Amino acid sequence: MMLKVQNLTKKFAGKDALKGVSFEVKRGEIYGLLGHNGAGKSTTLGVILGMVAAGSGEVMIDGVSVQKDPRKALRKVGAIFESPAFYDYLSGWENLRVLVGLSGPFDARVAKEIVERVGLSDRIHSKVGAYSHGMRQRLALAQALLPEPEILLLDEPTDGLDPEGIKWFRDFVLGLREERGMTVLFNSHLLSEVEQMCDRVSIIRAGELVYEGAVNDLRDDRPGIRLTATPPEILAEVVGRFEAEVMPGGRWVFPEETRIAEVVTALVNAGAEVSEVTPVRRSLEDVYLEYSSQSQP
Amino acid sequence: MMFLPQLRGELHKLFARKRTYIGYVVFLVFEALLLTLWVQVGRDQFEALAKRNFVPVDLLSSSLTATYWIMGFSMFLLGSIYFALVAGDIVAKETEDGNMRMVLSRPVSRLRILVLKYCAVIIYTITFVIFVGVTGYSMAVFAMGSEGGLFIWNPDMQILAIYPDRDEAFWRLFLGACLMGVSMCVVSSLGFFFSCLKIKPAAASVMALSVFFIDFVLQNIPFLVNYKHVFITYRMGNWVYVLQEQIPWARITESYSILMGLNITLFTIGWMAFQSRDFKT
Repeated sequence: MMLKVQNLTKKFAGKDALKGVSFEVKRGEIYGLLGHNGAGKSTTLGVILGMVAAGSGEVMIDGVSVQKDPRKALRKVGAIFESPAFYDYLSGWENLRVLVGLSGPFDARVAKEIVERVGLSDRIHSKVGAYSHGMRQRLALAQALLPEPEILLLDEPTDGLDPEGIKWFRDFVLGLREERGMTVLFNSHLLSEVEQMCDRVSIIRAGELVYEGAVNDLRDDRPGIRLTATPPEILAEVVGRFEAEVMPGGRWVFPEETRIAEVVTALVNAGAEVSEVTPVRRSLEDVYLEYSSQSQP
Repeated sequence: MMFLPQLRGELHKLFARKRTYIGYVVFLVFEALLLTLWVQVGRDQFEALAKRNFVPVDLLSSSLTATYWIMGFSMFLLGSIYFALVAGDIVAKETEDGNMRMVLSRPVSRLRILVLKYCAVIIYTITFVIFVGVTGYSMAVFAMGSEGGLFIWNPDMQILAIYPDRDEAFWRLFLGACLMGVSMCVVSSLGFFFSCLKIKPAAASVMALSVFFIDFVLQNIPFLVNYKHVFITYRMGNWVYVLQEQIPWARITESYSILMGLNITLFTIGWMAFQSRDFKT
């Protein structure tokens, strides 16, 4: 297990920010942490990186506790944040030298290779203050890959990038996993990114994990029916008889063997006036919103 | 083993910023202004005063004496502002700008980060004082020539000393500048301490300057004259005793031990505050 997050709790000003968050990321896996703004994703990442002290719980990176030996644990970690903050008055190369120098000796040859790989060779000696957001993100990727991490922690890395930049970033990270077996924890609220990159995903809501599983499992492909009929009491009573599951947005999911025509007939026979019968298929976004919204799904 | 390259990186960050040099530029202009005023206005008055008090004119109107006045007058008040600004920025600015998260994501302890930053601030402080001394003396030599000794008259510290020998005067003044640099580290330590707290960089500088000036004002209140020794700024002014003919080493050692203790205490409390902080967006 490359990353093991065990029962993390954290309070800010007396309010729970994390309530027993636990998950595990296997070596070589790309794991997504999904949630609204303020759900607790960045706090979780902060605890993993030792920047935020957990109230209780523990984070193990490749068997080393971040709480007990943060320096040793973080040796295998590269991290990228949303809007990475560099020293604007230094060049990209000088930024790398300063930041990477905190981890150990700066190997100019390896750094040059990484810079070439992220496509910054032409501008690496320019002041970072003149970089675009995309270039900053590439530089952030370069510093995260130096010296040689085994796990990348990405905190909303594609926010603010143009579609081309997002695609480049996605392909780059997937390439790293392909070539080096890199483990990635991907923290995002962009569903399409998570869907295209991650093997498994957790949804965090108000500091609690409300879902964990494979991305494919998260998709709910069961066809649903949007039924509109009056009076609502008869509608509820009839669909209840068919053991239908109620979903947000007036959608009902019936057991597989149910024939919808029978349901409509039952409604009419019970005296209901049926005004809409529409088949509805849930998208990943619907599922995510159900899990991450304040009301229970 | 990695400490020196890391310190070099920290110094590079500090000295690559344009605003680090504001203090240098202002002091150069200020020194030039003081010397111009001295040559155009002050010299005749001081020479007349020297003759009336039987002090050799070449001592009072020398480049070394001018350097002493420039450093003594300017450093304590003007220098403290720059040290508070730079030290107040050193941690708080990086935290505010988000650089600290990048730094903390590396496998390096918070103590190491603070030690590096503190060392950079101390180096800046001492080299700045020496810079002011060297440039002040160079300008004075350019304007007044290199001849002459040193005349010291400091009624507050009750010092009156005459050094006709230029070499001895030079080394005494150089030693004084070094001790003054150590004294000014207290202002930097104050700025550094506040910078470690969860406050804005400007607030850290203002807090440091407030403590410094309140201490200075209290020290100069007449009815507190018997308690001068408890004030930081009094202890900081003890550098001037190396210019006394019989150097009171016990007094100097006592004062600088107290100042060192204060610096260590400020660093330690700052570190404890920094260590317990959470760093989020």
